[in-house]
Amino acid sequence: MTGYIIRRLLQFIPVVIVATLIVYAMVFLMPGDPIRALSGDRPMSEQVQDRLREQYNLNDPFLIQYGKYMWGVFTQGDFGTTFQGRPVLDIIQQGLPVTLTLAAVAFCFQAIIGAIAGILAAVYKDSFIDRFVQVSLVVAVALPTLAIAFLLQLTFGLNLGWFPIAGTRDGMVSYILPGIVLAAVSTGIVARMLRSELIEALQSDYVRTATAKGMKRSRVVTRHGLRNSLIPVVTFLGADLATMMGGAIVVESVFNMPGLGGQVFRSIQAQENTIVVGIVTLMVLFYVVVNLLVDLLYAVLDPRIRYE
Amino acid sequence: MALVLSACGNGDDTADETDANGAENGEQAAGGGTVTVYNCEPQNLMPSNSSEVCGSWVLEQLFTGLTQVDYDTFEAGPGVATSWDSNEDQTVWTFEIGEGWTFHNGEEITAQTFVDTFNWTVDPDNAQQNNDFYDVFVGYDELVEGEAEELEGVSAVDDYTLELELNEPFSPLPMMLSYTGFYPMPQEAFDDPEAFESAPIGNGRYQMDGEWEHDVQIAVERYEDWPGEDPGLPDRIEWQIYNDIETAYLDVQAGALDILDTVPPNRLGTMEDDFGDNQALFETSSFTYMGFPLYQEEFQDVDVRHALSMAIDREEIIDNIFDGAQVPARNIIPPMLPQAREDACEHCEFDPDAAAELYEEAGGPSELTVYFNSGAGHEDWVEAVSNQWQQHLGIEDVTFQSLEFAQYLDLHDEQSVTGPFRLGWVLSYPSPQYAMEPIYTTGQSSNYTAFANDEFDDLIAQANASDPEEADDYYQQAEDILLEEMPVIPMWFQSMGVVHSDRIAHDSVTMDPRTFLRVEQLEVTEED
Repeated sequence: MTGYIIRRLLQFIPVVIVATLIVYAMVFLMPGDPIRALSGDRPMSEQVQDRLREQYNLNDPFLIQYGKYMWGVFTQGDFGTTFQGRPVLDIIQQGLPVTLTLAAVAFCFQAIIGAIAGILAAVYKDSFIDRFVQVSLVVAVALPTLAIAFLLQLTFGLNLGWFPIAGTRDGMVSYILPGIVLAAVSTGIVARMLRSELIEALQSDYVRTATAKGMKRSRVVTRHGLRNSLIPVVTFLGADLATMMGGAIVVESVFNMPGLGGQVFRSIQAQENTIVVGIVTLMVLFYVVVNLLVDLLYAVLDPRIRYE
Repeated sequence: MALVLSACGNGDDTADETDANGAENGEQAAGGGTVTVYNCEPQNLMPSNSSEVCGSWVLEQLFTGLTQVDYDTFEAGPGVATSWDSNEDQTVWTFEIGEGWTFHNGEEITAQTFVDTFNWTVDPDNAQQNNDFYDVFVGYDELVEGEAEELEGVSAVDDYTLELELNEPFSPLPMMLSYTGFYPMPQEAFDDPEAFESAPIGNGRYQMDGEWEHDVQIAVERYEDWPGEDPGLPDRIEWQIYNDIETAYLDVQAGALDILDTVPPNRLGTMEDDFGDNQALFETSSFTYMGFPLYQEEFQDVDVRHALSMAIDREEIIDNIFDGAQVPARNIIPPMLPQAREDACEHCEFDPDAAAELYEEAGGPSELTVYFNSGAGHEDWVEAVSNQWQQHLGIEDVTFQSLEFAQYLDLHDEQSVTGPFRLGWVLSYPSPQYAMEPIYTTGQSSNYTAFANDEFDDLIAQANASDPEEADDYYQQAEDILLEEMPVIPMWFQSMGVVHSDRIAHDSVTMDPRTFLRVEQLEVTEED
């Protein structure tokens, strides 16, 4: 087990190197001169432009730029600064808690609501509850995220006034609407996945045996049915938690949350290599860590799985 | 009292009265209170480096320059400088600095403060974006090229006398010095610019309250020892930073935000329904034009340019696409300036028949490529203009080149644009000089059309060398040349939609031509 974890951790190194290189290359290859665009319609004097290019190593060829950046990261923990001189680490420190909180709230919504809806639909298969759950989930999956966001903002923010429309000024309450929006699609997928897995499990021999032994229905469903249906759902939830960082780009913009998603979007537009690489690397790391955790969780769910 | 106040709107005396009044009976106060204002995330909060609205209008509250523009008369009025004078030919200027001005940290402001600030800003090692506004001063080139340590033309005669020597006569100097890039900066700014930026120490009506919380807010409170004549009305201003205007619009509707100064285009049609009396459109100097790459042969015939301009029905586009929130351009000098004339432009009137005839005679190109920058809401109207060209001029084929802004500017620098292109211009200070000289004089860096006309250049130079009354006449003659030669098709001047909550007195809401909402004049009608 320990050996397995160490091997997986060592794999992070090439993943991070390749990911940063690709991201750096993509931002680098974007056409146009970011320094030139800084001042908009109004031109900037040649000398100032030259000085800024020098300062941010923009005159160097691609690999040298990348090398200088990585050298700074590994020797001094210097993740670079924006074109305005603001350290990238500052930006990450400020944005990360917001994005993580948002992701956690969304994750709770999709895991809890998704699981409850899926179990109910499976246990009361073909009943009204099942149909109701299925229809509402189809709607949640089908509506574009932006539409859901505006709908919730208008209904619960503007008209009813129950939740703030935007920002993070009101603490945890501010995270509820964006959390629901971010979770909407996945909640539907989780519920449908769990429903079909659970229906299949409940028809299997071991469940019939357990029921025949006189076990209570609730215990049959949770201990025998659910546990065997969870592996694909956990895989999905894990992968989804990692991709949530991407969804956060839209949700953070619409709900005006100062997280990493909105930041990475603006930085790509402004061709701020250093921030994009910093944040994307963080997202990549997050993704691989979550994947590792998911793999380890399999062993808990199914003792037959062993790691060597 | 309240009646009197709302009746006289926004004058200097209003400010004084409210100030005294607001302090005594804080509850029913015009003036006082806290306003929350929409803002976008500034690029930076460094006067010498700030060239966009999001940062500049915050800095305007934190700093006071040598002069301030009076937007009723469009003249430069006293700021830190109490008076100024120039020699006969407008090349040597003397500014008397008022006594008793300090930065918010107590550092005294003298003529030397300005000398230091100007030198630091121009020093290329500091790479400040407003650097090029200083090219009027003697010694600019030497300092920028690294041949000198200081600007030769900027000197402190004594503690309260600043002398500025210019390369060329420049009568709009007092007006230009009101610009963000000329605000005085304290020693701390030079010692550690990055630390300074997070909580700029200025000499303005307001001082920072806490640090700039990136992507969240910038809060300032009134600086009670400000020696100027018209202090700000609100006790406290909080700029809430949004990255989506739509969201800010909803927040104003819900009362979570007091005022939004840039209503999103798709809401202009509904803002009256949504806000009733709490909304208004303000005309600004934000100018949109279609430029011609005069370095391409097809566009060198002035008749072709006239025909393309006359084939555009500006009103129709403005009504259908902008919900009326643009003023059709009949001039180059923005209409709110006193120097502007109505209908100065002969070839800006929609006349499809004459246009078609002219275009055919001149042998204008039958295919066009039209350029604009992407992602900034230009797609619809550029397409509409192109449709009108196709419809009225018999142009067979129009292709669009839409590029990211950075890439777009590259293309202009390389002079590889092959057709009409969209660009814009906003006045940083309200002078006809700034509306024309940077864009149309020969060899200027914003002259993307490569327009070169000696007569025009001479008129601008003459205007810059004359005292104000005569200058206006020269500026207008220069404008006439532009409207006749038409290096650019004037399209329209933008009107900005402003919406606000019930807490703000509607009469106190004003916006100046630079598109800056006058936040310091906002009156809070109710306290919550």
